[in-house]
Amino acid sequence: MHDTYTGAVRRWAVLRAPFTTRAWAEVAYCLLGFPVAVIGFVLVLVLLVLGAGLTVSLLGAVLGLLLVVVSTGLARVFAAVHRGLAAGLLGERVPSPMLLRPAGRAFARLDARLRDAAGWRSAAYVLVKLPVAAVELYAVGWWLTGLLNLSAPLRWAAFGQRPHEGAEGMPTITPIPVGGGAPHSTSFAGTFVAAAIGAVTLLAAPWVTRGIVAVDRWLVRALLGPGELAQRVRNLEETRALAVDDSAALLRRLERDLHDGAQVRLVALAMSLDMAKEGLGADGEPVADPGRLRRLLETAHSNATEALTELRDLARGLHPPVLDDGLPDALATLAARSTVPVELTVDIPERPTPAIETIAYFCAAELLTNVIKHSGARRAVLRARQEEGLLRLCLTDDGHGGATLGAGSGLPGLTQRVRTVDGTLDISSPDGGPTAVTVALPLHA
Amino acid sequence: MRRMRVVIAEDAAVLRELLAQMLTERGHEVCAAVGDADALRAAVAEHRPDVSVVDIRMPPTHTDEGLHAAIDIRREQPGAGVLLFSQYIETKYATRLLAEGSAGVGYLLKDRVANVAEFTDALARVAAGGTALDPEVVTQLAGAGRRVEGLASLTAREREVLALMAEGRSNAAIAQTLVVSAGTVEKHVAAIFSKLGLPASEDANRRVLAVLRYLGA
Repeated sequence: MHDTYTGAVRRWAVLRAPFTTRAWAEVAYCLLGFPVAVIGFVLVLVLLVLGAGLTVSLLGAVLGLLLVVVSTGLARVFAAVHRGLAAGLLGERVPSPMLLRPAGRAFARLDARLRDAAGWRSAAYVLVKLPVAAVELYAVGWWLTGLLNLSAPLRWAAFGQRPHEGAEGMPTITPIPVGGGAPHSTSFAGTFVAAAIGAVTLLAAPWVTRGIVAVDRWLVRALLGPGELAQRVRNLEETRALAVDDSAALLRRLERDLHDGAQVRLVALAMSLDMAKEGLGADGEPVADPGRLRRLLETAHSNATEALTELRDLARGLHPPVLDDGLPDALATLAARSTVPVELTVDIPERPTPAIETIAYFCAAELLTNVIKHSGARRAVLRARQEEGLLRLCLTDDGHGGATLGAGSGLPGLTQRVRTVDGTLDISSPDGGPTAVTVALPLHA
Repeated sequence: MRRMRVVIAEDAAVLRELLAQMLTERGHEVCAAVGDADALRAAVAEHRPDVSVVDIRMPPTHTDEGLHAAIDIRREQPGAGVLLFSQYIETKYATRLLAEGSAGVGYLLKDRVANVAEFTDALARVAAGGTALDPEVVTQLAGAGRRVEGLASLTAREREVLALMAEGRSNAAIAQTLVVSAGTVEKHVAAIFSKLGLPASEDANRRVLAVLRYLGA
């Protein structure tokens, strides 16, 4: 039952392929890319060959090297155009490589430009693109011939191209060379055979296009991006910024908590003690108003107690002491404190570094808080285990689901925190539940 | 002590209530005790108090709302005293507050309320059109690597007197604090003015301004 259904869906997708926006966008990409590819290929190749030739000839070595540099620079420009086309029409968004801004003496600048890996990869793409673009244009040919053949009966009816003497009838065009020449339609009925061939060609055209465009996509990703190392650097810069922001935010929150909490309590405590002291009067004098004194001391006492509680919470928020005994104990404490029953299993044979333990602990704490506050769950399962060198923390609950990475959930903050150590946070929370959040962290930060 | 009419603006309820209680017990009238700058502006416009006690950091931004409100209040009611207090002393705030005159202005560290009598004294000074600056303001201005010529030539006692002058105290009050005679204080003050090249003045507010200008506030 299910198989026939998905089969029908697939057949429908095949039939519908020529009419999807994706197909048309790919055709547009093939058409627009071709002239750019031809011009780019010619210019870059000519400059490159000229430059290389001059360099080898020794006479014009400097001029030759300059030409080579110009060619890679030009290749970057064409690469940018191709990147734009791929992003706009294929949705293939590849980040552009860093701009090259060498400093120093002329020779050092020339040297840096010659070593411009992104420029050379751009040149490689521009050169490889020409044959690819040719095939892409050929794929567009399938669409055209398909349309042309499909319209054969119409053309016959409209222009009346009946076979006359010497003519062999209306030719059928095939995208694939057929031995012995293309078949010809010699009667109106025959044009329907051509139309059938056209329809089949038109149905196949999007898949031919998609095939060659897939090759192009792969080349774009491989050659037009910033390169693996540069990507890694960019990623590290981003996560470093996150880590710095995170700690700055933590300090700000800490200052705020101290300022609004314990500091105020202590000022109030000192103040009420001073007022009480005044109320006592000089040595030996009877106390004028014992009731007022008692109230002041009560205020002082409650402020002292509040200050202690706030300081303790603050200290625990910075580093829960139970973490010193390892993640299993800390998670057990968390689970025991939770108002939603938590089933906990921990299997971590190798102890992670303290930073990882801390992040894992705070993730678990925050996720449990979310479960208690938002999910409406009756029970939750928390699993922490070591797998393939990763610490995997998985929290599932039987709540109503619908958790998102949107604002207010605290999940974006957690994701940032996890990313600072190259970890990941995945969430699956369909409406109606259940919700499963998995945090994967390296064992060593 | 003269009976004062006071408005309190402090976002921490504990402290706000305790301040109100303390002032009421000492026979002053607390017209309003509010928790943010807008309520403070409204309360001052309505009650026209002798003096307002204003926390610098209040909602919604928790930065320097109190300072802005204080400056507004002093523009609209030049006679109204304002005593700012906060958990840190920022000389920048002191400078901005004093830019429009030092009469009826105070700036104290919040910790000073722990000494209720001194705090009330400072408040009374501000209400009467005087000045009350936290010793910390003077310390920060004189320190902080500022190269103030002449400061080095002051004796330890003279520095003490200078700090008290900057806080807005009269010669008599300084004499009382240091437990010396009024004549001794006058001698110190004269020495300070001549060493620093400041115009001598008996008026406490003008003295504060002279000292602060000298220190670079």
